[in-house]
Amino acid sequence: MRRQFLAAALFLALLMPAPAQDSDTQLKPFGRGSWQELMKAHAGRPTIVHFWGVTCGPCKVELPQLGAFMKDHPDIDMVTISADFVPNLPEATRAMLERSGLLLAENWIFDGFADRLRFEIDPTWQGDIPRTLLITREGEMTTIEGSAEIVDLEQWSARQLAVKK
Amino acid sequence: MRKIKMLRTTLIAAACILWQAVAHAQMHHQHGSEAACDEPELRCASKVTPAFASDGTLWLAWMAGGRISVASSSDYGKSFSTSVAATPERLNLDWGPDARPKIAIDRKGGLALAFSIFKDKAFNGQVLYTRSDDGGKSFAAARPITADNESQRFEAIGFDNNGGLFAAWLDKRNRVPAQQAGKKYEGAGLFFASSKDGGATYSDARMAIDNTCECCRLGLAFDPQDRPVVMFRNIFEGGIRDHAVITFADAATSGEPRRVAVDDWQIAACPHHGPSLAISPSGTYHVTWFTNGKARKGLFYAQSRDGGKTFSAPFAIGEAKRSPSRPFVLAGPLGLTMVWKEFDGEKTTVRLMTSGDDGASWTKPKTIAETSDSSDHPLLVADGRRSYLSWMTKADGYRFIPIGDES
Repeated sequence: MRRQFLAAALFLALLMPAPAQDSDTQLKPFGRGSWQELMKAHAGRPTIVHFWGVTCGPCKVELPQLGAFMKDHPDIDMVTISADFVPNLPEATRAMLERSGLLLAENWIFDGFADRLRFEIDPTWQGDIPRTLLITREGEMTTIEGSAEIVDLEQWSARQLAVKK
Repeated sequence: MRKIKMLRTTLIAAACILWQAVAHAQMHHQHGSEAACDEPELRCASKVTPAFASDGTLWLAWMAGGRISVASSSDYGKSFSTSVAATPERLNLDWGPDARPKIAIDRKGGLALAFSIFKDKAFNGQVLYTRSDDGGKSFAAARPITADNESQRFEAIGFDNNGGLFAAWLDKRNRVPAQQAGKKYEGAGLFFASSKDGGATYSDARMAIDNTCECCRLGLAFDPQDRPVVMFRNIFEGGIRDHAVITFADAATSGEPRRVAVDDWQIAACPHHGPSLAISPSGTYHVTWFTNGKARKGLFYAQSRDGGKTFSAPFAIGEAKRSPSRPFVLAGPLGLTMVWKEFDGEKTTVRLMTSGDDGASWTKPKTIAETSDSSDHPLLVADGRRSYLSWMTKADGYRFIPIGDES
């Protein structure tokens, strides 16, 4: 009986459009103006923005560490942006986020002229990844080039949560 | 309670299956493609590499629509012959920012090509080569440049003055024994081989140096004694990704790596931004590169007048606020030419400066081309008379611009 019910539920689920919660796990296209939008949305909240890409070797090592970090630090907003040099591969990107426990982070993927998108974020950034930005409540930004040391993220987030009012 | 949880799990699982089906259907949509279209034609190319034959014919090799194609021009790029696909099948070509097909032309007009493909989902690469003996009408089936099956990328090829063909590339074969021994392996080895038959077959691969940076293009030139010289981003002690030059004793024998500058760029990442090297008839090495080191940041030029043993103090190039990138230097018949890209938030410009005194002084930089969307690296190429800019753009197509009229 239960099995039949489950089978029916499965069948119905397959027919139904993806439930609302699933839209949270979609990759958001990062285009012109997305950076301003993102900064506005996270203003006043300690936020980590991580740039990575599926072809980047060091990213493969770092991404699962960030996934674990996110799980342990629900008070820190976690944003990932796939900024690999084009063409970006949405399917591979999503699969890697899922494997790394980051599917529920706020995940973006570059969509458009990459030089211009990077310039909006930081005119001096030539595109090397991984790259991590630590942004305080006050909007103060620290850039980590290359793989971040998780212990540094721990210390930074402890400071952010300590000053919480 | 448990039943509800289980049902929810089932629903989520079903939703995931559904999502994946949608994702799969959308997967052929390329986010932010560098190319204007997906056909094998030149107008769809993301990377275009030029070379002049000794008879003055301009040849282009490009990647577009998953193929490597060539075409020639006898009127300096105003018109091109019907293109020929050197690789008939669609391939998963290496689209990394510093990858591009390579073309070298021997004195009889034979074309040697080399290029990389991604051979698996982990983005391991393979360097393939092919050759045309009939003036670019047909190409031999592409073959791997080495029998090793681990990963190779970022090849460079060039003919010396005696018709010998030299090839260098980055090769990850040594990570296997390192990992088996439980050791960490960093970067990739700089490997090389040569061909005595114009690129129909290559010698066995040899290693020049291990643990160099694995994701940047190489610079290759020949000194007046016909010795190959390779410039590359090395990994120095402590993970410092600064540049080095090796002057080979001959096409089969490596030489000592010499550091170009202490930029002190420690980064556990892929800069995807390799150097450029030219050697003038005087034997002076001219090098240009990008760094984001502690000692300096941006594009730099230096020269060596002692065969690559020591280099002059680095000289900054370009407008620091405009993200200068992708420098390229050429020793042409009228002197030295250097180009690079700058970006002002809207437009990419190609900036040019020249030197008539072997790099002792340079003209004030000026803009020679611009575009408002993605573009390939600016490259320079020379025939016996002058130098030209070769630049592929997504919005404005292929540009071939003579250098020297503007001064």
